[in-house]
Amino acid sequence: MAKEVFDVVIVGSGACGGTVAAHLAKAGVNVCVVEGGPKIETRTDFNTHAMPFEFPNRGIPKMRNNKPGFDTERSRGLGGKSMLWNAVAWRFGPRDFEGYTRDGVGYDWPIGYKELAPYYERIEREVGVCGNLDGLEDLPDGIFLPPAPLKCSDILIQRGAAKLGRKVIHVRKATLTRPKFGRPACHYCGNCMAGCDVAAKYNSWDGHMRPLMKTGKITLQLDSVVYDIPVNTENRVTGVKFVNRTTLAQGEVQGKIVILAAACVQNVALLLQSKSNRYPNGLANSSGRVGRDFMPHFTGGVEAFLKPLIGKAITNDEGFLDHAYLPSFMHNQKRNYARSWGAQFNYQNRRSVGWARALPGMGDAFKKSVKDRYPSYFVFSPYGEKTPDEKSYVDLDPEKKDKFGLPEVRRYLYWNENDMKIFRDMQTKSREILEAAGAEIHQVYQEPKPNHEIGGSIMGKDPRKSVTDSFGRTHDVANLYTLGGNILPAGSEKNPTHTFMAVSARTAEHLIDRLKRGEA
Amino acid sequence: MSENAYDDGRRETIKIIGAIGIQCAFPFAGDELYGQHQHPAPSRSADPGPPKFFTPDQFSILSRVTELIVPGATNAQVPNYIDLVVRNNEMHKKTYTDGISWLASKDFIKLSEKQQLAILEPLCAEVDRGEVKSMEQKFFRVAKNMTADGYYTSRPGLVEDLGYMGNQVLAEFPECKLDEH
Repeated sequence: MAKEVFDVVIVGSGACGGTVAAHLAKAGVNVCVVEGGPKIETRTDFNTHAMPFEFPNRGIPKMRNNKPGFDTERSRGLGGKSMLWNAVAWRFGPRDFEGYTRDGVGYDWPIGYKELAPYYERIEREVGVCGNLDGLEDLPDGIFLPPAPLKCSDILIQRGAAKLGRKVIHVRKATLTRPKFGRPACHYCGNCMAGCDVAAKYNSWDGHMRPLMKTGKITLQLDSVVYDIPVNTENRVTGVKFVNRTTLAQGEVQGKIVILAAACVQNVALLLQSKSNRYPNGLANSSGRVGRDFMPHFTGGVEAFLKPLIGKAITNDEGFLDHAYLPSFMHNQKRNYARSWGAQFNYQNRRSVGWARALPGMGDAFKKSVKDRYPSYFVFSPYGEKTPDEKSYVDLDPEKKDKFGLPEVRRYLYWNENDMKIFRDMQTKSREILEAAGAEIHQVYQEPKPNHEIGGSIMGKDPRKSVTDSFGRTHDVANLYTLGGNILPAGSEKNPTHTFMAVSARTAEHLIDRLKRGEA
Repeated sequence: MSENAYDDGRRETIKIIGAIGIQCAFPFAGDELYGQHQHPAPSRSADPGPPKFFTPDQFSILSRVTELIVPGATNAQVPNYIDLVVRNNEMHKKTYTDGISWLASKDFIKLSEKQQLAILEPLCAEVDRGEVKSMEQKFFRVAKNMTADGYYTSRPGLVEDLGYMGNQVLAEFPECKLDEH
């Protein structure tokens, strides 16, 4: 059978892969999206509105209809992790691109905020981001739909924070607060991270690829788990090799350009496992930096009960989870660490009462204590920016393989001195804010926990110290790109997906230009 | 929930958006518009089934303990939920078997409620202080955790007792009335 050679082969269909696929298809570029899982229908395939007592063990399974794909960290399935994200959509601020210059720690981005700003705007116009215009230097404003109102608990925190001179703002999310793009508005059921059953929350299939399928320029290669990116004697990648998710039958698609957009650590793993004579340590790894500079966000956290709400009537205020945000406020303040932190809060769903077991007492008094505190329970989660160190990296297990024969990925995480200074500061100040808001502290988390994955094959100007340029194009192989958290040389403290998408939009424009010039 | 109210609100807001005039870069075709959204009817409760791990005598002691920790637990089938969780976990099996044997040795079921509480309440106070070392303390800690988990994930606990109101279609998010009380 004569094999079609696509203009661009994209591995992964999440926020990055979906953005690039849609932009390229709109420009007439012929793309193949290789996705490790099946088609996922956000309206029917998730247990979005289930109750725990529908299941004997009280655990709500994520998926319905025997759909696999989202129970592992790999999130194999059309739309990838964009199906399950909480949709927080910040622009990074100008400082976030200049970390090394400002602090002498970590790396600068090879581009600045001004170069990315038009692409943030393009994404906002395409997918719909709600928020308020706050005029903050570190959280640049964008093109927003109206924000959702603050919850009572948010207002209490806002007042508490104001006493300490800190600002609390409306969260910005890629969730529609008004019907738009043929997608309905959010109905505030509080289940955003269990799949959105109306696609009011952006996912890359409904928000980007689906409307472009009629162009005929997007071919979906589903259920295909990529295991190798072959490179030819001219130092060009030729496409991707995959195995079928269920039959394990091998296959291949060919393309003039290959983009790895399979999520941070998975992109890194694909590079590391694609070994060849030319690249014995992994594809595009002549610098030895593939797998290095791994710096996920870390979170702390305080659980509390807001005293003014204890004993009050319960209200239906799950909303779209968190409605407010505490932006980083420390850039202009004297402090003993580099970078910063910000806090998400109040994203608990009221179906989950797991905190009850830690309340003291038993019998009727215990039940009353739980019931009184139920409307007042509150989670405060600061996010900090990790800076790189040589003890934090990703590699492949030389022995263990998964069911597809792929090496298992190992993550090594070390919290360096700067990370721990941020962590202690965010725990102390979170407590101060909560106490100023009139809170009874329930639990304080003692250790940083890794969250959004960042780094592993970062962009940079120096090919000896970085893996890609600002378009995600690898320094080693001219027709190989990678998009996602792995290429960010500094992750800021802000939820990163909007930035992934803006970078992807910029890369799409670069590729369209490149293909128009016949340079492929 | 009022589907009609949602429908009306939806048309209204389409007009508002049109007036703002933000350009839609990826318009959907008309036939791709989603149908009117409905949430399924109130969900059924799954029965955790009869006990398979605990003997009838053990189960009656367990039931009494859960009922004393959270009154209403047996009605919410918490002991059956605990049996289901414990039967697949060797560590929990030992914790419960040891704890229930200890209570059986005191003829727990035949004691008055006051006498039963005289055994459990001091244990509860120790566990609340973070003392979870002895067999009895470990048993109580785990039993309280699972009783709270089981009760507050049941319909009687979550919906009828706490009054959970979520999982609804709201046309608008309600404004906070904090200052009106």
